[in-house]
Amino acid sequence: MAKDMGTAPETLLDIRNLSVDFRTARGRVKALRDITFPVSKGRIMGIVGESGSGKSTVLWSILGLLAGNAEVMGGEILFQDDDMLRKGQAAMRATRGEDISVVFQDPMTSQIPVLNYARQMFDILYRRRNMTKAEKRKAAVEMMRKVGIPDPDSRIDQYPHHFSGGMRQRAGIAMALLTGPKLLLADEPTTALDVTMEAQIINLLRELQSDLEATIVLVSHNLGLIAELCDDVVVMYAGEVVEVGTVHEIFHNAQHPYTRALLECDPARISDVSRRLPVIPGDIPDLTKPQTGCIFASRCQRAMPECRTIEPPTATRPSGGYANCHLLTGPLEDPDWPPPLDVLTVRSGESAVAEKKAPEGTPLLEVENLNVRFRTLGPVKARLRGVEDPFVDAVLDVSIRVRPGETVGLVGESGSGKTTLGRTILNLQHADSGSVRFEGQEIRNMPEARFKPLRRDMAMMFQDPIGSLSPRKSVRALITEPLQVHGVTGMNLDEEAERLADMVRLPKPFLTRYPHELSGGQARRVGVARALALNPKLIIADEPTAGLDVSVQGEVLNLMADLQAEHGLGYLIITHNLPVVRHISDRIAIMYLGRIVEEGRASEIFSKPLHPYTQALVEGVPQPDPDKRLTHVAVRGEVPSLLNRPKGCDFATRCPYAQDRCRAEKPAHETRPDGHSHACFFPLH
Amino acid sequence: MLFYLVKRLGLSALVIALVVLVLFSLLHLIPGDPATIALGPRATPEAIARYAAKMHLDEPVWRQFLIYVGNAVTGDLGVDVFSDRNVTAVVGDRIGFTLALICASMGWAVLLGLPLGCLAAVRPNSWLDRVTGVLSVGTIAVPSFLVSIWALLIFAVELRWLPAIGAGEPGDTMDQLSHLVLPAFAVGLSWVGYLARMVRASMLEVMAEPYIRSARAFGLRPRKIVYGYALRVAILPTITLIGMGFGGLISAAVFAEIIFARPGIGKLIYDAVMARNFPVVQGAVLVATAMYIGIVLMSDLLIAWFDPRVRESL
Repeated sequence: MAKDMGTAPETLLDIRNLSVDFRTARGRVKALRDITFPVSKGRIMGIVGESGSGKSTVLWSILGLLAGNAEVMGGEILFQDDDMLRKGQAAMRATRGEDISVVFQDPMTSQIPVLNYARQMFDILYRRRNMTKAEKRKAAVEMMRKVGIPDPDSRIDQYPHHFSGGMRQRAGIAMALLTGPKLLLADEPTTALDVTMEAQIINLLRELQSDLEATIVLVSHNLGLIAELCDDVVVMYAGEVVEVGTVHEIFHNAQHPYTRALLECDPARISDVSRRLPVIPGDIPDLTKPQTGCIFASRCQRAMPECRTIEPPTATRPSGGYANCHLLTGPLEDPDWPPPLDVLTVRSGESAVAEKKAPEGTPLLEVENLNVRFRTLGPVKARLRGVEDPFVDAVLDVSIRVRPGETVGLVGESGSGKTTLGRTILNLQHADSGSVRFEGQEIRNMPEARFKPLRRDMAMMFQDPIGSLSPRKSVRALITEPLQVHGVTGMNLDEEAERLADMVRLPKPFLTRYPHELSGGQARRVGVARALALNPKLIIADEPTAGLDVSVQGEVLNLMADLQAEHGLGYLIITHNLPVVRHISDRIAIMYLGRIVEEGRASEIFSKPLHPYTQALVEGVPQPDPDKRLTHVAVRGEVPSLLNRPKGCDFATRCPYAQDRCRAEKPAHETRPDGHSHACFFPLH
Repeated sequence: MLFYLVKRLGLSALVIALVVLVLFSLLHLIPGDPATIALGPRATPEAIARYAAKMHLDEPVWRQFLIYVGNAVTGDLGVDVFSDRNVTAVVGDRIGFTLALICASMGWAVLLGLPLGCLAAVRPNSWLDRVTGVLSVGTIAVPSFLVSIWALLIFAVELRWLPAIGAGEPGDTMDQLSHLVLPAFAVGLSWVGYLARMVRASMLEVMAEPYIRSARAFGLRPRKIVYGYALRVAILPTITLIGMGFGGLISAAVFAEIIFARPGIGKLIYDAVMARNFPVVQGAVLVATAMYIGIVLMSDLLIAWFDPRVRESL
């Protein structure tokens, strides 16, 4: 195993030849095949892979908590010299939560909503018979304090829904560490969190690890997170380990073509603002069928005929790491592989149909000083309590415009009001004041009967690609549904479906499939086709890449860029993912607590952020480079509740540069001659 | 919370008012003179006139309605046509038997159905799950009056283990309990299966939630996970169902009370309808409705007690 320390650390967890099958209706899925890697004591081991790689299956195998249809076909998992696969139920239960503990992916769903934290933590300590109730509570409060939950003595009696996402994850970490486990497993611990929260949790995990000298196995698809935290990395693909190494070896000197491709696809790594994002073409192989040769061969840019038939040899590094590839050793070795880091080994998708034209003409969409208020009590309750009908400003004085052929990225964390803004533009939400103009026509609060014809020109791409498709309709019916909704007649729907499928590069056989038979990327393309069905002029896309693997999100974004170049579409992309919009947006608007705090050209937002919040967002994104780890947490605290919006600048409560003036009055929007606008008294540049 | 209670009580009052209106209109919608209907075709004109005066039938209909409502608010539901007793007292005598019956029925259904549903959900497709599945569907499909008759024939007539009819000697608790067994068995039987299926379905859903996996990963005992965690969430839809189920039980009790000749409210309504004793019908249905509304309100409050999110949104 890879070690870059002088002494040989003790191996705490040793996974050897682990193979797991899942019995499904389609047949046996060989989910894990011959997984072998050790985890050294006191180090953080990262398991990185895309969906379907089997990384979570490894994690749940360690705990013996695989799904009911899973079957361990062989191998051993040695933890402190005990084979976890052969331990009895009672012995396993004694290990779980005591010696091995877990931090879960989504703190919103992994904590039981009907029990408070005191009760949940008390339950975890049920094996400590010699502790009194008061001692257990004290230990729990102490642990909550340690993970940075303010006022833990009273907050421990609260329920999970009283906590914000970041605080819940802190509580989740506190629960995991309560028993002082020897091994901590972390399953995508920051995936459900906002950027500023993610940075805080990364920092917390790092501090706790050095503090407690814990051993951590971190599972994630996020290369940035892996690079931030891990000492050693295992790269998995389609149920196999393809490469193992130290974090520096993996990120600076990746040997396996898949590792290289994965790194190249990460939008956070691509520094030049090119419109085309690299992609790994194809899908992961069908694991119900027997595989021969290299598992990655079908998608590898360097695949040779032998790759499909002969099992790749293992090339070992001096450090102990290894990679399985024909290019690295054996008769097919290529001395020029791997190429230097600045050479791209994957294609950046198909070439663009046309060069993007500069956005021009009158704006498609003009939003001016838009305000959306939500009443929090309702008139009757408010009167009963003798208060003026209270409200929160979900969208506050927002102005934004999108021209034909232009892509505007609207970036904000959860609770920033970005989705409300999108809904208001589409006339799905009542607005209180301001104006929304589409091609010069005022559409705010327009009655639905009059607005319906305009819906043809403004399409929506929904966040959840599979959930937003009716499970009982075929792709063909789904694609042509908008045509039927709008009563478009006089065209052959079958031909139209084929034309649209062709447009989004969805092969014809897919037209007869149903949503559950589609992969995430394919479902996305169906979503794009539906949005395009009525030849809209403006598309509002809500998190267009959410839930997609890095190797396919480029595909969707490239497709959107191509369609824009061809048809001059305007895009308003609503997202929390800054690196993604960076590559496809002309302009970016940053939203915080319902207000746009900065707006400008995409390149300038990144190179010259004016607002401290923008800076925090830009710097908070974990970089897939272990040499560029976050050294400090730029923004502390949490997004305040809309119910107590700060009196001065909305960001003043968290801003590292805040002064008295910031806390006293709200900064107005200021636009510079180059069109870069901000709402800050003390802009950074 | 207080606001919620006030709102719910207000709505309950509205529902009861509507029921009163319907019940009251019923009497006037039946063709013919209410007095003649009440007293029968062979009543003398003097008796009819006396009855009409006593029942305020000579007043305009809206006034009659207001009088009825006014009396009902003060607890006076009118007078039994035959015995001349106060309807409130008549209903009051009987309601205890019905309450005992439906509580016993639901009680044993819950005590058996809940654990069965949990066990079936913990091991889906096990033999226990399959057996409860088949039995559940079977018991749901058989109407309770049929179960009543068969139970009566087998346990009371053939085996002579349990008394057949009546509610037992007043004051003798054991005797009363032994009279309760067969009707409660008959009325509750279909609910055992129904609850077991419901709990199984919602338990299966909850057992697949990430927080149950969390509890497993923290090494909690299986029994704790099932009854302390999963059931706590899975019970919520079941509580609503049980609350609404009481409404159905009241009508199931009518059959059981007739068959077992229990002096409950169901039998009272039946007898009153047969005898065209309208004040009693009105009063008894009104009380049954109020009882049902009260139970549904209680089940909603119980949910709030179980679920902090609901509690805070009240």
